[in-house]
Amino acid sequence: MPVDRPTFSESWYRVVELRPRVRNSVQIHRQHYRDQTWYVIQDPANNQFYRLNAAGYHFVGMLDGRRTVGEVWQACNQTLGDEAPTQGEAIQLLGQLYVSNLIQADLPPDTEGMFNRYRKRKTREVQGYLMNLLFIRIPILDPDAFLNRWIRAVSWVFSPIGAILWVAMLGVGIYFLAGRWGDLWAEGQAREILSPDNLLFLYFSSWLIKLFHEFGHAFACKRFGVKTGSGGEVHTMGIMFLVFTPLPYVDATSAWAFGSKWRRAMVGMAGMLVEMFFAAIAAIAWTQTPSGTPLHGLCFNIMFIAGVSTIIFNGNPLLRYDGYYILSDLLEIPNLWQRSREYLYYLVKKYAWGVRRPRSPSQLATEKIWLSVFAVASTIYRFIIYVAILLFVASALPVVGMVLAIAAGIAGLVVPVVKFLHYLLLNSELFRVRTRAMLTTAATLVALVLTVGVFSFPEHIKADGLSRADQQPLVYSHTDGFLESYLPSFARVWTGQTLLQLSNPLLEPERENAKLEILRLKSQHDQQIGQNHTAEADQTEDLLKAAQAHLDYVNEQIDRLEVTSSCNGIWYTPKLDYQQGAFLKAGGDPIGIVVDLDNLLVEAFVTQDEAARIFSQAGSGIGEWVDLALPGRPDITFRGQIIDKVPAGQRQLPSAALSTAGGGQIPLSKEGKGETAAPVFTVVIKPDLSALENGKGVSPLNGQPVLRSKQRVAVRFNLPARPLAVRWYRAILQLLQKF
Amino acid sequence: MMSPGQEGQESQGVLAELPSGTWAALAGATGRDKQLPRGLDAAFDYVVGLAKRLVPRQRILLKRAAAVAAMDKDFRDLSDSKLREQAQDMRAIFRRGRDKPQDMLRAFALVREVCSRTVGLRPFVVQVAGGLGLADGCCVEMATGEGKTLTATLPATVFGWRGRSCHIVTVNDYLSQRDAEMMSVVYRFCGLSCGFVTGLMPHHQRRAAYLADITYTTNKEVCADYLRDQLALGRLRNVPTTILNRMVEGSTGGAGRLLLRGLEMAIVDEADSILIDEAVTPLIISGSMPNTEQVEAFQQAVQVAKQLTLGEHFRVNQRYREVDFTPAGQQKIEELAKPLGGIWAGARRREELVNQALVARELYHKEKQYVIQEDKIVIVDEFTGRLMPDRTWRDGLHQAVEAKEEITVNPPKDTFARISFQRFFRLYRKLAGMTGTAFEARQELWQIYHMPVVVIPTNRPCVRQGLLDRVFATDASKWQAVVEEIQAMHKLGRPVLVGTRSVRASEHLSELLTQRGLPHQVLNAVRHKEEAQIVAQAGQPAAITVATNMAGRGTDIKLGKGVAEIGGLHVIATERHEAGRIDRQLFGRCARQGDPGSAQAFVSIGDELPGRYAPVIAGHFRRRYGHKDAEITRRSTRWLFDMTQNRATRFALRQRKSVLQTDNWLDEFLGFAGKD
Repeated sequence: MPVDRPTFSESWYRVVELRPRVRNSVQIHRQHYRDQTWYVIQDPANNQFYRLNAAGYHFVGMLDGRRTVGEVWQACNQTLGDEAPTQGEAIQLLGQLYVSNLIQADLPPDTEGMFNRYRKRKTREVQGYLMNLLFIRIPILDPDAFLNRWIRAVSWVFSPIGAILWVAMLGVGIYFLAGRWGDLWAEGQAREILSPDNLLFLYFSSWLIKLFHEFGHAFACKRFGVKTGSGGEVHTMGIMFLVFTPLPYVDATSAWAFGSKWRRAMVGMAGMLVEMFFAAIAAIAWTQTPSGTPLHGLCFNIMFIAGVSTIIFNGNPLLRYDGYYILSDLLEIPNLWQRSREYLYYLVKKYAWGVRRPRSPSQLATEKIWLSVFAVASTIYRFIIYVAILLFVASALPVVGMVLAIAAGIAGLVVPVVKFLHYLLLNSELFRVRTRAMLTTAATLVALVLTVGVFSFPEHIKADGLSRADQQPLVYSHTDGFLESYLPSFARVWTGQTLLQLSNPLLEPERENAKLEILRLKSQHDQQIGQNHTAEADQTEDLLKAAQAHLDYVNEQIDRLEVTSSCNGIWYTPKLDYQQGAFLKAGGDPIGIVVDLDNLLVEAFVTQDEAARIFSQAGSGIGEWVDLALPGRPDITFRGQIIDKVPAGQRQLPSAALSTAGGGQIPLSKEGKGETAAPVFTVVIKPDLSALENGKGVSPLNGQPVLRSKQRVAVRFNLPARPLAVRWYRAILQLLQKF
Repeated sequence: MMSPGQEGQESQGVLAELPSGTWAALAGATGRDKQLPRGLDAAFDYVVGLAKRLVPRQRILLKRAAAVAAMDKDFRDLSDSKLREQAQDMRAIFRRGRDKPQDMLRAFALVREVCSRTVGLRPFVVQVAGGLGLADGCCVEMATGEGKTLTATLPATVFGWRGRSCHIVTVNDYLSQRDAEMMSVVYRFCGLSCGFVTGLMPHHQRRAAYLADITYTTNKEVCADYLRDQLALGRLRNVPTTILNRMVEGSTGGAGRLLLRGLEMAIVDEADSILIDEAVTPLIISGSMPNTEQVEAFQQAVQVAKQLTLGEHFRVNQRYREVDFTPAGQQKIEELAKPLGGIWAGARRREELVNQALVARELYHKEKQYVIQEDKIVIVDEFTGRLMPDRTWRDGLHQAVEAKEEITVNPPKDTFARISFQRFFRLYRKLAGMTGTAFEARQELWQIYHMPVVVIPTNRPCVRQGLLDRVFATDASKWQAVVEEIQAMHKLGRPVLVGTRSVRASEHLSELLTQRGLPHQVLNAVRHKEEAQIVAQAGQPAAITVATNMAGRGTDIKLGKGVAEIGGLHVIATERHEAGRIDRQLFGRCARQGDPGSAQAFVSIGDELPGRYAPVIAGHFRRRYGHKDAEITRRSTRWLFDMTQNRATRFALRQRKSVLQTDNWLDEFLGFAGKD
């Protein structure tokens, strides 16, 4: 169309002479959304709603059964000018009102058409059930009469008195709980709310509370309906199977007729308010009952349901429960979900596909922001929830669940894709931009497939590690002696450096004796040679050798009085500091230790799954390089090489600093005893400090080594790059295994 | 039956007052306009359509036709009166609906004999096969000159015998009258009446014609009569209300004035042109309403439009034939409209008006889209080049063009009833079609009308020489080449028929030919009868005939003496058409009935087809070859024309389907307004 809204329509002749009128039973309510006046047309007989803008209402309002459509249209044009509906819009409007059975014409009704529409609607409903097996609603009874009987008795609840009472009750509840948070937490831990023996109990508790919740909605709707005169009729109550869990529900859609958004929101909130009220009572009861009694357990469950599940499910605006409707009412954006989606499509049509003049579902700037934010957030959230539920169902009920999950997957994934393709290929809206639309979509798809399925992305596993020295030579004394002098602890030492000096007053004379004995034997030997006593000389020579050996031994003993370091490192001795002059026995207790700083190792602790990932790749994983960093020192990073792995898992951590209790990442089991919840696997890494500073791993600032023993190290394992799809597949398999 | 008595006689009287077909029509006995299938149903239907192509229809039909031919001896030796008797017996069988498949063949054999005795033409076996195809509800493709008129007679007689009305729909009054007059002897012999309806016929004659067993009519007439019936019936269109009316008011109301007696069977001649090319053309019954204010507004719009410049204030989209305003343009219009007031106050209305004025100025050209005759705009059909005096453009465009040409602006008319040919023909219980070119449209004919296409071979093998397209860089070089080709053929003594797409093009060519001193005839599709005579002469030696594509359609071009020996008629197309079918129709005018002949298309990159459907690629070719003023025939340039033609065809199909879908939506949502 060359013009946005062409005034004339070819089909106008079909309606121009008609004198339709709005049905008698229809009620019209004026509402304000974002400073715009809208009119909600309601048919109380079947709770059908239709929303009109001011111009549309002007048009429909004049249809009284006496004026023809043509006259009304002319009148609208005169009063409203450009705002007036065009002929096409008027036809569309009449058609939609007609299909919703909201208007009648001065003609015998098209009964065949009516039955056709009825059949169509039924088919759609059944299709809807089949497509949405996970969220089926079955209407059971009509609570309206019951509500009418009791509304007088409970209407005070929705009044200032009720509000005061509610606030007071909540206050008291919190007051009672105030001192008992710890107990509450402990009970939560101990009870394991989702453990099988509690599950049935929990389910009955939730039925109880959800029943009150639903009556909260119903009575609120009734109360405001009576007050505003729109009736607030609630005709449907039934059971909703939320992932096969039957729970009560009530249809309070007649609240849509309320003029005030606060009242509409209040109807939405009523359920949660009731729950919170009961949670407060339960809290008081819980504090006053001894632990272990059934009532105590019930109260705890009620608190859990009202507190946790309500906020996660009912209060969450991204799911289509109470929170969504409240948000929609408070934002004054009706049909938020649908329109946000439409807005998203609009953006795609306009910017990605270049559709000319696509119809925007919104004209208001602020509304557009809300729509786009909500569209993105709810789509992502719903997708995640959907996948999670599908996986859960599939694993919880192996065969049936798989079938249902596949059915739901078809409904949630295949059907939309097919619909989208159909739209893309055939819809007349894309008539002119189809090539572009298809190319853009194909490009997006290719990009997605490449990103997910083809391009490899590096993958990392982060783990906590602890450094330790590779060698830790213990220093022993190899000879008896008195401590003469020694290096103090923490001295930096190098190979061969004297650590301590012993003295042994017996050794020196012994050496002298040995020397003299050798001299004596030598001269004796010479003498015997000179005398040609060959046999004797040979004997002496043997003695001489023995004497020489003795001297060597003594010399060695003397040498060993000076104890030296066998490696570079830090010398540490706890004993000597207070034992100067002490006698050290050869082969006795170790005197001290030289920690080898040049050969520090890092031990990283990973879970079983992580270990499997690290070592499943490309052989054993030994020899792979990893990245290392020091917590709190972002400037210091270096690399290391995996040199070993400890094949068996262990539950004992070498340092408490690694556990969650000590600030690390590894969770401990609930039984205490410092054991980890799951076995951990040790990977031994040899760091390469040569890249650091002066190549020795010594900080230039203070000359201190960068890496010390027993220090926490952040370890990053670089797994070979893999496409995301492979990773996700693995993650899903693991998730399924866990169930 | 009712027992004799006052009441019974009375109501019998009511029933007798109207022809039985009317009651059937009122009771909704006609084929209902079913919705196009959607979603998976549509996919299934599509596959069924594909599967149906696999049926060797042609072979089956030819086999059955051979069986018909074999029955010749049963009738050949009968006397006329005996033959009549046989026909009466046959009629009784069909009337009662007790016919067996074998009876159909016997009936065909009988009618064949009747044809040869009355009009002197014995239908060939291929014609019998075509007739059988029509009786099966197929769209039969028979090459032009194969005698479709005679072919239609065979199934029409059988359907006439059934006692329900049978419409034979042609494209113009001349053809329907000619065919009816020519064939009525056959029908009369078979005990049937035959009538025809033409545009200027008064009401009672029409009624009589429709009451005949077989009615020759045009698509326009039958559709308009249907609409008139709908209007006459008003909104009370069923049997009980009509009887009640008769009892209470003593008249059968609108029902007494009905023309048609139900839409039972239609055999559509030139099916592709009526069911496809004109499918979405709505037929409208309207009345004028004086509205001086609006007339003035159209004239003011032209004045406003004069002050807007292309590029600065608006842009023109040639492909979709639209005008778009720039923001500057919208501002300018607002300024210019300020002093005008009234209807000009609202932005929507004034932009609409100016837009139309600009569309009229930029996209609608005199001699191409319309001509002016007697101070009136007459639309030229872009497909056929034919003048359409009763047609008007919609949405005020017609007024905008009138205002632009500064002739009397007739205020827009009020629509009373409207239906597109597409929807109308879907209303028939049984629909069959015949045409020279259906094969290309088989998908559409299946999807929309559920008519399978069957191609009937020609009686004698076709020896047409189809030459490859010649492509030129510019229009000037194309026309140059066309004229040279004509001259060459003329020297040889071969007759040439040149098809042009528009009146303007035919006049341009005529001028060029006059400059060269070549004698020629120009046909601009105004009066069908004369046209047919001129076209019939186009086969004379060295004749040069320039005609818009469809001029004189349905008339044979018989070759003059000695023409066959030097190669027959040569057909030149000066542009490729949106649908390949239509090119083929033009080419089909030569080499008929085993005569020799040749056909070739001369196209240029400047033609409308590539410019509209592949502007980017066409632009590329233009930049590459545009500077040389020469022939650039090569595979790549020829491909451009095939590709754009393909694209145009698909585009048109989708558009037609979406029109139908919109109509269906309206029906569903406007149920309270009564069915269309």
